[in-house]
Amino acid sequence: MRPAEPKGCPLADVRFDHATKIYPGTDAPAVDALDLHIEDGEFVVLVGPSGSGKTTALRMLAGLEEVDDGAIYIGDRDVTYLAPKKRDVAMVFQNYALYPYLTVEANIGFPLRIAGIKKEERARRVREVAELLGLEPYLQRKPGQLSGGQRQRVAMGRAIVREPSVFLMDEPLSNLDAQLRVQMRADIAALQSRLGVTTVYVTHDQAEAMTLGNRVVVMSDGHVQQCGPPRELYEAPVNTFVAGFIGSPAMNLLTLPVEGSAVRLGGERVPVPAGATSNGRSTLVVGFRPEALDLATEGIPAEVEVVEEVGADAYVFCVAEVAGETTKLVARTDWRSAPERGARVKLKPQPDEAHVFDLETGERIGET
Amino acid sequence: MWSRYGVAFLFLLPAIIFLGVWVIYPAIYTFFRSFFGQSGFDNFVGIDNYKALFTSDLLVTAIKNNAIWVAVVPAFVTAVGLIFAVLTERVSWSVAFKTAVFMPMAISAFAAGVIWRIMDQQDPNLGAINASIAVVKDAINPPGVLSDAKPSSDNLQGTPSGGITLQNPVQPGDVAKLGLTGIPPTEVPSSAVQAVMPEPLQGGINGVVWRDFKPGGGNPNEVEQDELGLPDVDLALFDSNGDQVATTTSADDGTFSFDGLEQGNYRVGIAASTFSTPFEGVAWLGEKLITPSLLIAYIWIWAGFSMVVIAAGLAAISRETLEAARTDGANEWQVFRRVTVPQLLPVLSVVFVTMLINVLKVFDIVVSLAPGSVQDDANVIALAMWRTSFGGANNFGLGSAIAVFLFILVIPILLLNVRNFRREA
Repeated sequence: MRPAEPKGCPLADVRFDHATKIYPGTDAPAVDALDLHIEDGEFVVLVGPSGSGKTTALRMLAGLEEVDDGAIYIGDRDVTYLAPKKRDVAMVFQNYALYPYLTVEANIGFPLRIAGIKKEERARRVREVAELLGLEPYLQRKPGQLSGGQRQRVAMGRAIVREPSVFLMDEPLSNLDAQLRVQMRADIAALQSRLGVTTVYVTHDQAEAMTLGNRVVVMSDGHVQQCGPPRELYEAPVNTFVAGFIGSPAMNLLTLPVEGSAVRLGGERVPVPAGATSNGRSTLVVGFRPEALDLATEGIPAEVEVVEEVGADAYVFCVAEVAGETTKLVARTDWRSAPERGARVKLKPQPDEAHVFDLETGERIGET
Repeated sequence: MWSRYGVAFLFLLPAIIFLGVWVIYPAIYTFFRSFFGQSGFDNFVGIDNYKALFTSDLLVTAIKNNAIWVAVVPAFVTAVGLIFAVLTERVSWSVAFKTAVFMPMAISAFAAGVIWRIMDQQDPNLGAINASIAVVKDAINPPGVLSDAKPSSDNLQGTPSGGITLQNPVQPGDVAKLGLTGIPPTEVPSSAVQAVMPEPLQGGINGVVWRDFKPGGGNPNEVEQDELGLPDVDLALFDSNGDQVATTTSADDGTFSFDGLEQGNYRVGIAASTFSTPFEGVAWLGEKLITPSLLIAYIWIWAGFSMVVIAAGLAAISRETLEAARTDGANEWQVFRRVTVPQLLPVLSVVFVTMLINVLKVFDIVVSLAPGSVQDDANVIALAMWRTSFGGANNFGLGSAIAVFLFILVIPILLLNVRNFRREA
């Protein structure tokens, strides 16, 4: 009998090289020439609205969708045309995709059984994983007898037990209730850093993306909009799409005329980066995060529509007249000083927190 | 209180009447009738009818045949339906295919039996199945020009099935004469012309094969006027060791030639393939093959039902579990075997049990497909019951016993089905 050998650590970085997917009967590619390099051991989150191509990209990596153009590499292997079973990836599905006719034990052990691993070895590894995930009491149950969170953990266990070189997770938490979702989010993050396996995680929930990923890839219409650490995405969104998508509530985006080297907003002079007007732009899109708008005695006059209290903070949703147009604005404030609904307030922007974008292309301007 | 029961009874009455008249009374009557002889209730025979069930050849054959039906049909129908359902799942023309396969379900089993009876005809000119086999068989092994012939001289020996060979050795430069008689005039190929005695060939053997007979007789072993050559006869040349060294076929005037031969003794013969008979057809409706023919026809009818039910079950399986299995390292066969089939199991068992009950009761197709002469060999329990009771024998006692026996056979399967239904609920 061959002794169980410790799994080696071949470098399992993932590289998409112009990977393209066009679904039959459609013209626009679901994933359009995706270039992405995921380091070994990294936790990368693909995030975007539905139809952005994030799940398709993940399924291409898993081998469940054919790649129409370009290539995908795992480590130094070209896996573009490999069958899923030869890719050494494990996937956690949105609906868990547990085998309903098998017990939890058999579900977790399924990949090992397929791999032809001996019964005792299989039982040992399943037990280890069950211990890791707190599933020991449920090993003899069928998936139908488990709660959503337990099923989710079984699905995780089935992925972990194989010790694959890459984990793929397709919105694994979207079917859980909010509280469980937050808890599982932390569990997944802890597990991933403990196992150190390259992980690609797909979600539409930007809060999940921001808390989980080493790096977050924002996708839209099959293209990568921005790829970077969560902090970078938040502080320096490269375009209006990312600016509007990342952050909750979303960034306030205002279209304003340029006056000299600044825009004027609520009596405040907001300087724009040098060169913003160089190619003759007379109008810019200027964004402020809710925390960059203060309730003050001076500023943009606005009427409060809704106040959302979130623990210590309150978000004040207002309607205001900006540059001749009726615009909705959100400001963050301390819950104690939150105004009443219908109150008239003044919003004062913090000039150095402004994000400036081109009106036509939506691209970020300058290094603000 | 009374009015409540009265109303309930009123509502139940129609059902009670119908069940009582058409189910309960006949069932009880049949049960009691099975203990009496042919003449009626005046002739109590105890369990003699049940003894006859297992002793008379006719009924034992019926029970054996039914056992074959039970062993073969449910398994095959389920398997064929599963294969069709899985294979057509991803093709664009699956609807057309499924419609075609399902079509036999729209035909009554009796009509289907008639269709198969025609297709199963033995004569390849009549039966579609034997015609198809004949096409394949004749392409691989073409039939010879003649069906039978006799040698016309003592020098020529042999039979059509083993080949006819000249006894005297021939040497290059000789002429071989192979005269045949006993060929009906209708079998002489239409291309045949006056036989010709060929000239000797230097370093080779020329010869003629002809019909050594003319109106009035003629002289044996002589090529005469009005004797026809035999075209397309297969001829073989053997060396002194008896090994075949060359083959050829004869021309319209019967002549043939082997050239480029070394000196030595040779023998010339007419190959058996000349006399090979055309395909006569498999006796699908004969006593040996009638039950397999019935099984095939029955599977043909029910494969559509099985396919449609299983395809519906297949559509209900979550795609994700199949994809999960693929990423878990399973190949397509393992996905099918370990993920698809287990999830289909309830559906498969419904199909299997339904077919089990159908097959136990099988009747109509046997009546319509099996010719009267082989119905004893094709017999099944339900047919035996009918033939014993009404088909001339008019033995209602034994017929009732067969009916009770069939009912007892179906009970365990019914219980199984009831249990399955309960579990579903």
